[in-house]
Amino acid sequence: MIWLVMILGGIFTFATRFVMLSGWVARRLPRWLIDALAFVPIAVLTAILVPAVLIDPATQQIIVIGNKRIVAAVVATIIALLTRNVIATISSGLATLWFVQWCM
Amino acid sequence: MPDIHAHRQPAAEFWLGVRHELPLQLGVIPFGLVFGILGLASGLTSLQTILLSSILFGGASQVVFAQLWAAGVPPLVVGGSVGVVNLRHVLYSASMAQYLRHLPLRWRILLGYLLTDEAYAVSIKRFRDGPDSPYQHYHLLGSGVTLWVAWQASTLIGVIGGTTIPVSWSLSFAIPLTFIAVVAPSVRRRADLVACLVAAALSLICQPLPWKSWIIVAACGGITAGWLTQYLAKTKDKFNSDENAGAP
Repeated sequence: MIWLVMILGGIFTFATRFVMLSGWVARRLPRWLIDALAFVPIAVLTAILVPAVLIDPATQQIIVIGNKRIVAAVVATIIALLTRNVIATISSGLATLWFVQWCM
Repeated sequence: MPDIHAHRQPAAEFWLGVRHELPLQLGVIPFGLVFGILGLASGLTSLQTILLSSILFGGASQVVFAQLWAAGVPPLVVGGSVGVVNLRHVLYSASMAQYLRHLPLRWRILLGYLLTDEAYAVSIKRFRDGPDSPYQHYHLLGSGVTLWVAWQASTLIGVIGGTTIPVSWSLSFAIPLTFIAVVAPSVRRRADLVACLVAAALSLICQPLPWKSWIIVAACGGITAGWLTQYLAKTKDKFNSDENAGAP
């Protein structure tokens, strides 16, 4: 079953990349669709990352007070806005998490 | 007299693509490593984790796949979530179309498969900035192959070496950090901020929904909210400019 879902997912993903190169569909996407698709990365990635930061993996509850990951995420966000650099963001976030874990 | 040096040759375009793509691997390789580790931790086999990187070949969607599958989510919801995460590629495909449509089908299939966020980012820049060349698609081949090799190799290393890294290093936290690195600088307009905040709120509020469908709900909600905000702002601008046009 897992293989079937992997392969179907792969075919769908390939289709999203190939569709406009195929020559089988209209040359231009409608304006509203282009506008909507532009929000996909922000909405999708935010939806994945926010629970990964706020929800405690052990209890499945939203934890704010004493949540070390929030501190790390805030530092990483500031670094991301200042540097626009992926590696600086990841390393500052991880370093903050380790530092806070070590302190507490 | 025709200038024989007017166009870069295929190999030169290819290596230019490779060179432009290489710096981005600083962000790609840690992500691939962590995905390799995460795949095994989620209960996928080594083979499944490694092949996911070539079958889906999209980091965020692979993470979603592994996490949802581990949680026992129904296959249809896993597939739907992967689909929503990967919808953005339609935009890349649309913006690349004018440069690639004339190519033979086998080229379009190959370049379509290789069309990821990072390869798109560097190759569209080359296509737009010129100079036009009949061999410019080799640039996308170069950037795409570079990313492909880095992604497969880092997944493989993550799968092989992952079990030796202690859990206390919290390396899986590199995944949300990677997403922060992408999202934070891309929030430029008010509509982006609305999309971001609505997706964040829904991703928490909808946690109790069955089958982890909060991913789809929060993503679609964020997209709709951002689109509506932009649409309303446009309508308002239009109204204002119509009004101003009427003024003396």
